[in-house]
Amino acid sequence: MKQEYLTFVRQFKDLKEGIQKLFIKDLTPGPKKYDTKYVRAEISIDPEKMKNSDILRIRSESGVLLPQPWGIKILEELPESVPGKPWEDVFKAIDSECEITKS
Amino acid sequence: MAFKDHRDFIETLQKTGDLIEVTKEIDWDLEAGAISRRMYEMGGPSIWFKKVKDYPEGFTLYNGSLGTWRRVAISLGLSPETSVREIYRIYEERLEKPIDPVIVEKKKAPCKENIILGDQVDLYRFPAPMIHEGDGGRYIGTWDLVVTKDPETGWTNWGMYRFMVHNRRWQAGWPQPTSQLAYQMKKYYLPCNEPMPVALVIGADPIAHMVATAPFRLGEDEAKFAGALRKEPIELVKCETCDLLVPAHSEIVIEGEIPTDQIVPDGPFGEYPGYRSGTMAEGVGFRVKAITYRNNPILTMTAIGVPIDDSSIAASVTAGIAMKRGLKHRGIPVIDVYVPPEGVTHLIYVSVKKGGAQVTKEVLDYFTARRVMVSKVIVIDEDVDIFDSGQVLHAFATKCHPGRGILVEHYEGRANSLTPCYSPKERERLKGASVAFDATWPLEWPQEIVPIKASFKTIYSKEIQERILQNWKSYGFK
Repeated sequence: MKQEYLTFVRQFKDLKEGIQKLFIKDLTPGPKKYDTKYVRAEISIDPEKMKNSDILRIRSESGVLLPQPWGIKILEELPESVPGKPWEDVFKAIDSECEITKS
Repeated sequence: MAFKDHRDFIETLQKTGDLIEVTKEIDWDLEAGAISRRMYEMGGPSIWFKKVKDYPEGFTLYNGSLGTWRRVAISLGLSPETSVREIYRIYEERLEKPIDPVIVEKKKAPCKENIILGDQVDLYRFPAPMIHEGDGGRYIGTWDLVVTKDPETGWTNWGMYRFMVHNRRWQAGWPQPTSQLAYQMKKYYLPCNEPMPVALVIGADPIAHMVATAPFRLGEDEAKFAGALRKEPIELVKCETCDLLVPAHSEIVIEGEIPTDQIVPDGPFGEYPGYRSGTMAEGVGFRVKAITYRNNPILTMTAIGVPIDDSSIAASVTAGIAMKRGLKHRGIPVIDVYVPPEGVTHLIYVSVKKGGAQVTKEVLDYFTARRVMVSKVIVIDEDVDIFDSGQVLHAFATKCHPGRGILVEHYEGRANSLTPCYSPKERERLKGASVAFDATWPLEWPQEIVPIKASFKTIYSKEIQERILQNWKSYGFK
């Protein structure tokens, strides 16, 4: 029985075949459905081409489901979070009225 | 007498016919969300789902606390039939008398009946709903309040921000970058590179959640305004893992921290403007350190979306009065502000004593000064009933000059990234625009040329009106 996973991309064209790092959600029914993992995985637009692959469903930034799922083979589970600062990109653009730092 | 918790409130709603209990087993995966969404769209009661698939008896879901004006009125201790105008008036009046919270001992805090710490924490213990098909995950925090603190000033902020289960010990959220939580993060924690203590509260008393939707000024503690609206202090208790204070009678409290150097993805999610637009982001990570909860915890939720629902109703009154206070503070001759729930805080009505282009410009300046959540403002004269959208629409259609009565302001870095009409590029840069429609008569027009509104009350003399009213039945009318 193949496992099913879900991932999100801003636009479908953003997803590239090959070995990628991505967040996936486990769609196994039960109380832990949608549990998120960060993985290094091989993914392919054609699941038939990948032996023993699982199913990767893909949704866009507004939640639109790509009609045809891809194939995925998880190679490695990575740490559950990734390095980064909250709102890092956005803060650079914000015209803050109060730029206070601790002295 | 204020409601001390959500259970009291639920009991009252049962008596007034504003709640239905569903005893049939429902699935947390879309079924609870879809039922709740449909019920909002039917204008129906709140729903208490008593049996949830995959979860033990006693772990329940409750949707729609303040999803109608009736329930808002009840939450304030008023008659369910209270008019919207009166709800606004009472809300504004009560806010004038803030009441400080009281801190209670742990043994008197029902939210401490069960305590899970450290490695034992597991968010999957609770039936967090998958609300909309296509959402980024299970949102445990929708009808919530999120507590954070400025360690330098002691200011504690309550905000209603979405949070999604990432895995058993992490949540992901997207408090907007212009939110007060983000302000505190940016002011202290990010520069110091210290994780920000945070508590996500589910199922506090209904007023606590209402004030969490309110845009109070920076530095103002929502807890004392919750006391003001309740007309008695709210009881708070200290968290297990930090010095934050949370409502003692809450159903569930999730304690943790937002790291400054780690993130997890959030969204997308069907949001309060009524769309699931491109709100997927490298979200704020919430590392859970403890969970405390009452026996038989009730997980409050909102299947948020197209109005009218809890969010659009609660924000109507809380944002409306906050805006009125803000406009007054700026010296604008405001009479009233109404935020029609259908406009999801994007469309605002402002009535003024004296209108004209200059006042309309000042109104627009107020709305675009800092974070901009509003995209369209209609400014009207005081003779228009602001709570009657039909009258406002009539004034807009007839009094707003298509050439000189429309003022637009563009900005970057402070727009509302959830506004559906913005492109992905605009959202990324928080770039947007707001418009004010001047539906008032120009001040420079002499009185004798101002068009007379052709209504019974305005185009006939008092004498004619009284004669008609006195004789009304004699004409054969009922």
